[in-house]
Amino acid sequence: MFFHWLEKNPFFFAAGISLVISFAGLIEIVPNFAKSAQPLVDMKPRTVLEIAGKNVYMKDNCMSCHSQMIRPFKSETDRYGDYSLSGEYAYDRPFLWGSKRTGPDLHRIGNYRTTDWHEAHMLNPPKIVPGSIMPAYDHQFENEADLDTAYAEVVTVKNVFHTPYGPEIKKGQAAWDAHKPKVLEDAKKIAADMKDERVKSAIAEGKVPEVVALIAYLNSLK
Amino acid sequence: MQSNAALEYDYSLAKKFTFLTILFGILGMIVGTLIAAQLAFPELNYLLGEYGTFSRLRPVHTNTVIFGFTVSGIFATWYYLGQRVLKVSMAESKFLMVLGNIQFWLYFIGALAATVSLLLGFTTAKEYAQYEWPFDIVVVLIWVLWGVNMMGLIGIRREKALYISVWYYLACFLGIAMLYLFNNMEIPTYFTSGGLGNPLHSVSMYAGTNDALVQWWYGHNAVAFGFTVPIVGMIYYFLPKESGQAIYSYKLSLLSFWGLMFVYLWAGSHHLLWSTVPDWMQTMGSAFSVVLILPSWGSAINMLLTMKGEWNQLTDNPLIKFMVLASTFYMLSTIEGPIQAIRSVNAIAHFTDWIPGHVHDGVLGWVVFMIMAGIFHMAPRMFKREIYSKKLMEAQFWLQTTAVVLYFTSMWIAGITQGMMWRAVDEYGNLMYSFIDTVTVLHPYYAIRALSGVMYLTGFLMFAYNIYKTMTSGRELTQEPQFRTPMA
Amino acid sequence: MNSLMIKSLVFSAVLMIATVYVVMSLDIDIAGDSVNAITMAGALAIAVLTGAVSAKYINQMKTDTVSGELADENWDGIGEYKNELPSGWAYTFLAVFIWSMWYGFFGYPINAYSQIGEYNEEVLAYKAKFEATHKNADEATLKEMGESIFLVQCQQCHGATGDGLSGRAQDFTARMSKEQVLDVINNGSNQLGYAMGAMPPGMASGKDAEDIAAYIAGGLKGDAPASYAACTSCHGADSKGNNGMAPNLVAYDDALINHTLQNGKKGIIGKMPSFKTLITPVQEKALTVYIQSLAN
Ligand code: HEC
Ligand code: HEC
Ligand code: HEC
Ligand code: HEM
Ligand code: HEM
Ligand SMILES: [Ca+2]
Ligand SMILES: [Ca+2]
Ligand SMILES: [Cu+2]
Repeated sequence: MFFHWLEKNPFFFAAGISLVISFAGLIEIVPNFAKSAQPLVDMKPRTVLEIAGKNVYMKDNCMSCHSQMIRPFKSETDRYGDYSLSGEYAYDRPFLWGSKRTGPDLHRIGNYRTTDWHEAHMLNPPKIVPGSIMPAYDHQFENEADLDTAYAEVVTVKNVFHTPYGPEIKKGQAAWDAHKPKVLEDAKKIAADMKDERVKSAIAEGKVPEVVALIAYLNSLK
Repeated sequence: MQSNAALEYDYSLAKKFTFLTILFGILGMIVGTLIAAQLAFPELNYLLGEYGTFSRLRPVHTNTVIFGFTVSGIFATWYYLGQRVLKVSMAESKFLMVLGNIQFWLYFIGALAATVSLLLGFTTAKEYAQYEWPFDIVVVLIWVLWGVNMMGLIGIRREKALYISVWYYLACFLGIAMLYLFNNMEIPTYFTSGGLGNPLHSVSMYAGTNDALVQWWYGHNAVAFGFTVPIVGMIYYFLPKESGQAIYSYKLSLLSFWGLMFVYLWAGSHHLLWSTVPDWMQTMGSAFSVVLILPSWGSAINMLLTMKGEWNQLTDNPLIKFMVLASTFYMLSTIEGPIQAIRSVNAIAHFTDWIPGHVHDGVLGWVVFMIMAGIFHMAPRMFKREIYSKKLMEAQFWLQTTAVVLYFTSMWIAGITQGMMWRAVDEYGNLMYSFIDTVTVLHPYYAIRALSGVMYLTGFLMFAYNIYKTMTSGRELTQEPQFRTPMA
Repeated sequence: MNSLMIKSLVFSAVLMIATVYVVMSLDIDIAGDSVNAITMAGALAIAVLTGAVSAKYINQMKTDTVSGELADENWDGIGEYKNELPSGWAYTFLAVFIWSMWYGFFGYPINAYSQIGEYNEEVLAYKAKFEATHKNADEATLKEMGESIFLVQCQQCHGATGDGLSGRAQDFTARMSKEQVLDVINNGSNQLGYAMGAMPPGMASGKDAEDIAAYIAGGLKGDAPASYAACTSCHGADSKGNNGMAPNLVAYDDALINHTLQNGKKGIIGKMPSFKTLITPVQEKALTVYIQSLAN
């Protein structure tokens, strides 16, 4: 019998397993890659500050409680806004849909929350929303956002994946030094709506606290 | 063919990985219990400053229990039973021993370093694939070392035909190898930007919906080839071996194995139902998930049938209890998952606590039970001593069984409630509940889960203690027991 | 039936009753929403099938004995019977496989089913059902409706009672604070989209501004300070906004709420986003009635 033979020939046994398990992957993954989700028209990739914020989001692992995927149910579009479209994620590396909603979806949070609200909320969620079990992220007001790495990421996705960033985004320290003032400018605008003293003084010194970048990112989720 | 006694097997690697299994099990479950408690009592988020929040610790929990505890358990049991069913001692090949030891130390140090990196916030964010690229390389190296070792041992085997357990370990190796590589394709940004920023940081090769597809093709099958396949491999060895019963049906083993191999891979898109992946892929994921009940239950039923007529063993030997209950929990999670994969059910279940509920009746009731049973079975043979206390084992069994039941029932109710509250509309057709209402209502269930965590962890510590005492002060054995594990 | 089977079925029943009880106690309609109904049925199937099937086999450990022909081979002392497949298992496998074909080709036809299409139908059905009935809803109904919308969409900023969470957002139990008015006088404002357009900065200053602000914050009671005349040209002699040309300074009238929801508002307290995309006209009406009810 074939299987008895197979069980005595480990090489073919292993080949058999590999064959059986690999073609589901081919069918599931390959077709969508071919017509891979295109960005929506006029969609802009995130700024360096927003990418730095996305990295704070990843670092503090907000995905463990928050999704970014509004499903096409009336109950969800009523609560969060339009259902999500594939093209909206076209520049997201990685995707941050999450798999658990201990807290609400955030895919369009930029539409219905504002900088000052986030500031107060990140500092002490239950004070703003009584009963909240979200942790306070005080350290984001102390830690500096890693803008260098965010810029490195932006350069990478531009050069490797042709994400449409402008010509000013170039490899190397010199290009980054030239671009940085623009990033600090963006941060200043966010911080202008904030009250925390630590944030104010950091910004005055040309530093960007994590929370400022994070809020820039949250505001960009629309 | 029957002369098993002639060979002296080398258990040094099995022992080493057993220690790691216990170590990572304790660590991972302490963190699991802590994060469970944090959802019920949020003040517990502030014990360790920025490193102690639920969100930082959650991936520490998942990675420690998966890549620490479960994978150690897989290695430990392989280095034990692989030799035995292939009828060849590791000691017969110096090369394999050296390789195995390199694998061990690389794994030990790598797993610790990777955990610390997650605590510090270095993560690629994809679930169960959070490690940044340098750690991915270490993972691949470890896996290759294990693969070479396994193939090597198979190469020098005396037993011509591969035993069922070996099929499963082989599939575990091949499956994870393929999945892990594809899902962790990432580009370190330091090198592509002219040396800017943090060298550990990387971006995914895939974006958006495509990234999601690759991730859950991986994620689902990481569960399949990490929490299912090797664990089935374990039960196919430890249950008949411990009970002295022959496997009920070769045909059932065969069909279940190849059925599982074929069907599992297609089901990944059940993690992406109602998302932006194409509708036809979602349909496929749903349909294949339901089909998957059968090959999964096939193995479980084969195990239960193997024990036919052996009621006295079930009541008298706690080790058998662990394994029979594990089969039952395996059945529970492999019908619960498929039903959660049905579109309408997923509309409720997805994003809710019912999913962690499903996860933990699988991992606590099946994975951990089987790994502990394996270690209980191996310990007297590895240390040549009797199990220190059967009473303790009994107590542990009941404590942990109660814990799993509390965990899954509380999350079952919590999840269904939460999912239905999100959808509920009032008489005017407007949403009935604000989001925070759906959070506060869960408090009692979160508290019950935290309690179940404490109970389960206590049970695991009892296990660790029992093994420790077995090693150090169990009654010495002069002869290796053939079937039933001796216990005091 | 054997005792194991009974125990497992009792366990399933208790779990399901508890689940249904909790859900019903939250006023959730299970039978009326097909998704809820299917979910409950699914949960029941999980509990009962697992319980019954495992009980059946475990019971056989007590009542049955093994039989069958052993294969020649054994591994480390483990033998193997050449038993046939359990027929229940085999037929179910076949049946489920056929079902999956049906599911993919007829249930959710692979080339035709669209979840967005389904969504559109769902929303249309909703509109047909509710929009019409709400057209002529009375005050009491609107207020109740408004409250529940407020709790879902607005309470995160304005607080569950609408008091603005100690100055974090507008306090609906009063009109405006002195601080808010002063800010507008000093800096002007141009964001709400009133017909009058912008309010220029510096319409009053110094003590005049202080007096005006105190007057408005006090609810425009008693005599207006003389300098307040500068304001009435736009806000109207009665301060009610000149028929919707500028904001009503006395009360939260329909126009003010409409302008705020449409455009959002940034003031000295903070910034409120626009709710253009989330709030429907009927909901706006309901919210208006509710907010107006908070003032007294
Ligand atoms: C332990 C779970 C948990 C973690 C971790 C968590 N959140 Fe939350 N989050 C919640 C809960 C619960 C709510 C709802 C109650 C509230 O608004 O505080 C919430 C609400 C929010 C909201 C408001 C959403 C809305 O619609 O009102 C934002 C924004 C948010 N979280 C951002 C974050 C960010 C950013 C992080 C990570 C740095 C994070 N959260 C981490 C649980 C969590
Ligand atoms: C030229 C016309 C004009 C004059 C004169 C004027 N206002 Fe206004 N006022 C407006 C308009 C238009 C707005 C709405 C601004 C917007 O769109 O943000 C407004 C807004 C306001 C608001 C904010 C209302 C709210 O609910 O947000 C206050 C308070 C206010 N005016 C007070 C005054 C006072 C006090 C004076 C006199 C010192 C004054 N206004 C003079 C046109 C005027
Ligand atoms: C992200 C926070 C936030 C949310 C959500 C929010 N608001 Fe506001 N709202 C504010 C703030 C802040 C102000 C005060 C602005 C100021 O004058 O400084 C305000 C002011 C108002 C005002 C007074 C405008 C005026 O000029 O007097 C109205 C009316 C209002 N909100 C209605 C609503 C309604 C209705 C909702 C829900 C559909 C809502 N708000 C949701 C933050 C919010
Ligand atoms: C003491 C025992 C344990 C407790 C109390 C516990 C608790 C938890 C908690 C609270 C979560 C987060 C759930 C959420 O986000 O809402 C979680 C997630 C998870 N745990 Fe455990 N855990 C335990 C043991 C284990 C073990 C032993 C494993 C694996 C072998 C495991 C695997 C997982 C996985 C895979 C997740 C992620 C689930 C998901 O994303 O849906 N856990 N656990
Ligand atoms: C027939 C087999 C199974 C099927 C079809 C299945 C199906 C599912 C489904 C539908 C989800 C929920 C996806 C979502 O909506 O978020 C899920 C989640 C999960 N299952 Fe299973 N399941 C099966 C068996 C198992 C077993 C045996 C285990 C573990 C021992 C397991 C572990 C998990 C984990 C860890 C998750 C969480 C994934 C996440 O992080 O989101 N599953 N499974
Ligand atoms: Ca998850
Ligand atoms: Ca990785
Ligand atoms: Cu899955």
